[in-house]
Amino acid sequence: MIAQQIINAVSLGGVYALLALGLAIVFSIVGLINFAHGELMTLSGYALLASLVLGFPFPVAVLVAVSCGALAAVAMERIAFRPMRGASVTSLLLTSFAVSSLLKVVFQNGISARPQAVAMPGWMTGAFSFGDFTIGVGPSISIVVSALALIALEVFLRRSVTGTAMRAAAEDFDVVRLMGIPASRIIATAFLLSGLLAGLAAILWVAQRASVDPLMGFTPVLKAFIAAVVGGLGSLPGAVAGGFLLGIIEVLLQATLPGAIAPYRDAIVLSGVIAVLLVRPQGLIPAVRAQRS
Amino acid sequence: MPSLYRLHRAALCAAVFGIAAISTASAEEIIIGAATAQTGGLAPYDQPALAGLRMSLDELNAKGGLGGKYTVKLLIKDTRSDTAQTATVAQELIDAGAKIMITPCDADPSISAGQLTQPLGIPTLTLCGSAPVLTGAVGDVMFGTYPADNVQATAVADFAVSEGKKKVFLLTSPDSTYTANLPEYFGKVFEKKGGAIVGRGTFSMGQPDFSAEITNIKGLADKPDLIMTAAYEPDFPAFIQQLRGAGVTIPVYGADAIGTPTIKALGKLVDGVVYTAAGYAEPGSKLEAFNAAFTKYAGHAPESTYEVNGYEIGLILDQAVKTAGSDDPKAIRDAIAGLKDFEGITGKITYAGTDRMPLRPVALMRYEGGEGKHVQTLIPDAADVPAP
Repeated sequence: MIAQQIINAVSLGGVYALLALGLAIVFSIVGLINFAHGELMTLSGYALLASLVLGFPFPVAVLVAVSCGALAAVAMERIAFRPMRGASVTSLLLTSFAVSSLLKVVFQNGISARPQAVAMPGWMTGAFSFGDFTIGVGPSISIVVSALALIALEVFLRRSVTGTAMRAAAEDFDVVRLMGIPASRIIATAFLLSGLLAGLAAILWVAQRASVDPLMGFTPVLKAFIAAVVGGLGSLPGAVAGGFLLGIIEVLLQATLPGAIAPYRDAIVLSGVIAVLLVRPQGLIPAVRAQRS
Repeated sequence: MPSLYRLHRAALCAAVFGIAAISTASAEEIIIGAATAQTGGLAPYDQPALAGLRMSLDELNAKGGLGGKYTVKLLIKDTRSDTAQTATVAQELIDAGAKIMITPCDADPSISAGQLTQPLGIPTLTLCGSAPVLTGAVGDVMFGTYPADNVQATAVADFAVSEGKKKVFLLTSPDSTYTANLPEYFGKVFEKKGGAIVGRGTFSMGQPDFSAEITNIKGLADKPDLIMTAAYEPDFPAFIQQLRGAGVTIPVYGADAIGTPTIKALGKLVDGVVYTAAGYAEPGSKLEAFNAAFTKYAGHAPESTYEVNGYEIGLILDQAVKTAGSDDPKAIRDAIAGLKDFEGITGKITYAGTDRMPLRPVALMRYEGGEGKHVQTLIPDAADVPAP
């Protein structure tokens, strides 16, 4: 039972980590908390649904969904955020809220306010026995995909020129530009990566909830924001740590709180966040350079 | 997209009604205000119900209006599924002269609108809000229309007992009256009839992850043979997906909010899930005729029984205005409260002697192979129904 709950916690934490990382990558470069990140997930979810309805094989549908998220993120930057470049943090934040609200209404009026059921392939909803406990295929995939995505991102940031430039940009964007690296390319790549992560997270999220609806992006972006803040805003390792911490705390509380206190779970989680921030105001693993605002 | 088409037509309707307001405002006109969700989480429930209501009002208007006398002007405003916004638009509708108010499919926004209509004596009907505390929380102008939660829960409990179920796990969420209370009503009836509650769990609405709760269910020493919940979209699909994914095959029963196309479309995942509806369209029944007429009217078949429930609200109002013989809100209110054995589409509807939550039949349904199959229709014994 305890082993089972640990798997649950790691699985949820992995998804939160992917989400928080998506927010953190953009924040570290542009100083923008993209609250429309959740709508990227929604879009990927609908793309997955459409591909499955059109009869694409599952791997193709996943590919379509993830690419949709990535492309939408780049488009979002081009249309909404590029004109705002250099604007204050507040203006950027409000822009992202506007994009988020706009997309929600477009989904509601253009598709349907009603959630749409997504039929994930049967093998994804199965379970296999391992010793004396059963592990769901879904959570296992969550864990594996999160781990692979985190490793791939790490390799990209460490080994490639663009990745190195992005890490440098997170520390001092002006110097990176003086080195002759185009700012637009760095920023577009940051959004592309964040869109990819949103797409991946969306697949895992939808596999767990079996439906997509216009408002599904709200909860994940909120969790991602909390995770990113706890981890240290703008710090990529911090976002991962924050995501896992949040997932583990949520599952542990859900598993152990007695019935009478259980409804206060979210309040307890958020109090925990405040406690962490009191002890470490810059987060668990602070960003190398403090935010530019 | 049919929904785009509907939207377009709705806009057209609104425009036509708006023009009508300027040109033909007369003494023989009655304004019904509908503070309902066109967007947000309640929209999938409010919109079908509103479509049914609109159909009945269109038909009544063609026959001279409510009571054959008062042409209805239906003013619709979007609450965005927000409780505070519901109060705002309800006030706007009152200012526009609404003599009857229609409120969303949930207790909280309905109560917020009811607090404005109560002092003015404007009869207020919730589209499909089913919490039995709803009418008491507002006062004598507030009416439920859908079978109340405690009535639905009693029907499901009666059925579970008749199936020989002995041990239930209740999954609730404190986030809404519906999700918090309905399973508990079930528990009360179930215990009274010899069953036992072997565990309780909670969730937050919109929570993506049920794994911890499911692990708790799996770890119960006393294994339940039934899980009762009032979770709906998007929580119900997430819960059952993860429950079955974890290899748990215990049957799950719910209530009316899972009688929707979304849940049906989950297919095999929801096989065996029992839920409730306001009626069942048996061949030759009035409901079957209604479904055909609605399909012609709206261009698509009814998604659930919320449409017919909305339609019946129109019939109830017509009867009430007829009885009242005037468009005076207080007289209409008294007439609704006095309705007894009124022949609706789904069966007899009675308000007289109730706390303004109607006595009416409950249909029990079960999903099998992606279809909702009728199990039985019953009016639970009033003595069995737990107090709100």
